[in-house]
Amino acid sequence: MASLTGMRNRLVVAVFVALLATVWSVVPLLAGRSTVDMLVFAALYAIAGLGVAFLLGQCGIVSLAQNVFFGIGAYSTAYGATVLGWPAPASMIMGIVISGAIAAAVGVPVLRLSGYFLALATLALAVIGHVLFLEWDWLTGGTLGIGGIPPLSPLGYRINTPVRFYYFVSPILLVLILIHYNLLRSRTGIAMRAMRDAPSAAAVLGVNIARLKVKVFVSSAILGSFAGSLFAHYVSFVSVDSFGVDRAINFLLIAVLGGARTIAGTVLGALFVTALPNFLSRIGDVHALLFAVLLIVAVIFLPQGFGGAVAQVWRHFGRRPDHAGRVTKGSPP
Amino acid sequence: MTMTLFLQSILAGLTNGFVYGLIGLGIAVVFRGARIINAMQGDFALLGSVVAYVVSTRLGVPMLPAFLTGVLAGGVLGLLVERLLIRPTEKRAGTEDSYLLVTLGGAFAVSAAVLLYFGRDSYVLNGIGGDASVDVLDAAIRVHAVWLIVISSVVVLALKLFYGHTRVGQAMLAASIDVDGSLTIGINVPLMRTLTFVTGGLMGGLAGVLVAPLINIHYEMGLLLTLKGFAAAILGGLISPVGAMFGGVLLGLVESLAVASVSSGYKDVITMVILILIMILMPQGLLGRRGRQGG
Repeated sequence: MASLTGMRNRLVVAVFVALLATVWSVVPLLAGRSTVDMLVFAALYAIAGLGVAFLLGQCGIVSLAQNVFFGIGAYSTAYGATVLGWPAPASMIMGIVISGAIAAAVGVPVLRLSGYFLALATLALAVIGHVLFLEWDWLTGGTLGIGGIPPLSPLGYRINTPVRFYYFVSPILLVLILIHYNLLRSRTGIAMRAMRDAPSAAAVLGVNIARLKVKVFVSSAILGSFAGSLFAHYVSFVSVDSFGVDRAINFLLIAVLGGARTIAGTVLGALFVTALPNFLSRIGDVHALLFAVLLIVAVIFLPQGFGGAVAQVWRHFGRRPDHAGRVTKGSPP
Repeated sequence: MTMTLFLQSILAGLTNGFVYGLIGLGIAVVFRGARIINAMQGDFALLGSVVAYVVSTRLGVPMLPAFLTGVLAGGVLGLLVERLLIRPTEKRAGTEDSYLLVTLGGAFAVSAAVLLYFGRDSYVLNGIGGDASVDVLDAAIRVHAVWLIVISSVVVLALKLFYGHTRVGQAMLAASIDVDGSLTIGINVPLMRTLTFVTGGLMGGLAGVLVAPLINIHYEMGLLLTLKGFAAAILGGLISPVGAMFGGVLLGLVESLAVASVSSGYKDVITMVILILIMILMPQGLLGRRGRQGG
């Protein structure tokens, strides 16, 4: 019986994946330009949100500073492409190196904090980043911003429409998600969860907690910077308005709504956070208020996020009564 | 730095310092009574100032009742926050992070509501004594700022007396220090918790109406006020209202002297760096010794 159920489950998963892949490939052909545009933004924000979700879900670190790294990536690409005339990958790497270095330098002292202090310290970093983006206008253009960033063109193929960018960015997102799933199963992943759930025990077992936290913080910053670079190439214009504290809140909301512990939930969170303002734009700037209320509701009532809710439903339907009418337990998450 | 500039910086720093102290005071009151960092203390102030502005300019109510309405609005918001945000979180065994996220969500909700209502413009609330100012040697300080300093000092002392010498104040302290013990001797712990948030809200509203005449009312002002007030509160040991006031004044002076010698554009950067340094280097504050948990 068990093997039969196993086969059936595998079949369900295969059908599900095939369906998802079909929807993924067909959507841009059926949907309008604005919908594809929205999906591209959702994917970009999901990449940056993935970093925040990983920090929150696997290490228990609330980061409100992702706007800083998103901004560094975007400005590196903008400055590299328009002022220095560098090729896109070089500017992107410059952003990643700068973000990683800053995250490491800041992370070493700041990640020693925990709880309230840590969250507020990252919020302070978000404010510092935003002010510096505004003040260093020789580098960032200040409120006027930097325009004329060329689209990405690998091998001479210009990715200059939403549809092209959609097909370009979503596989990248998929690969990043798979990498993170693998990371969870690795030694480091186990060490991370041990650190999150029982820091003292993890330390006794030889996990270098301070170092591991900084490592994850740096990798989160790299994701943020990478997403920022892609963002700059896609929108071709960056200004300080895109990298305020509200952006950091959106990234956190993606992580919280999506369910920080289920990595793929980030995509759902990003879709939601990107789609909602579009639907509400006719009423005015209500989405900011709604996002704030959602953050509260999600933290109180949906601590596992959308991803957790989906996983629960999945497990619920996975439970079937056996011959004696008992319910067999679903597999642990 | 010339003498006049120095003196002017000191006066500005003193004024700002009392502002940060007032916010820090509210944070300290809430932390003392509930062991929760209220990340929306600055937005209590935002709401207080907005209500005072609307009541005085749009309804034409005189200054004093308008100011009192603003203060009360802060108290009402404090009550709502405790009932709608803190209690449900507590019921579901909230962690430090969830309390912080919930109050942060509250902060953004207030800010977004003000954005919806007011838009991105800034508004000026008339202060006590209008725009008049007092000369101190070569420098000047606004009459309103003098009032701000006087009123804050009185409020701090009143709070000290309240916690030290009234039954309710003592009960509020007891409820936060030992829940089971307080229940045993008949203290209504949930009520004390609510009162703590109402007091915090009133402090926030007061800060709002006193601050708004000096800085413009703007939907984004709450966040920075919260962070600077938090720095002030930690400096003072996080549970002490008097300490928060000292912390605020110290922070205000350091900030304004730094601004005078560097550049005003980097004011917030300087203060945020100071905040981070305080949290790392002196989490117990300058005056605090014990009694602080978490963080």
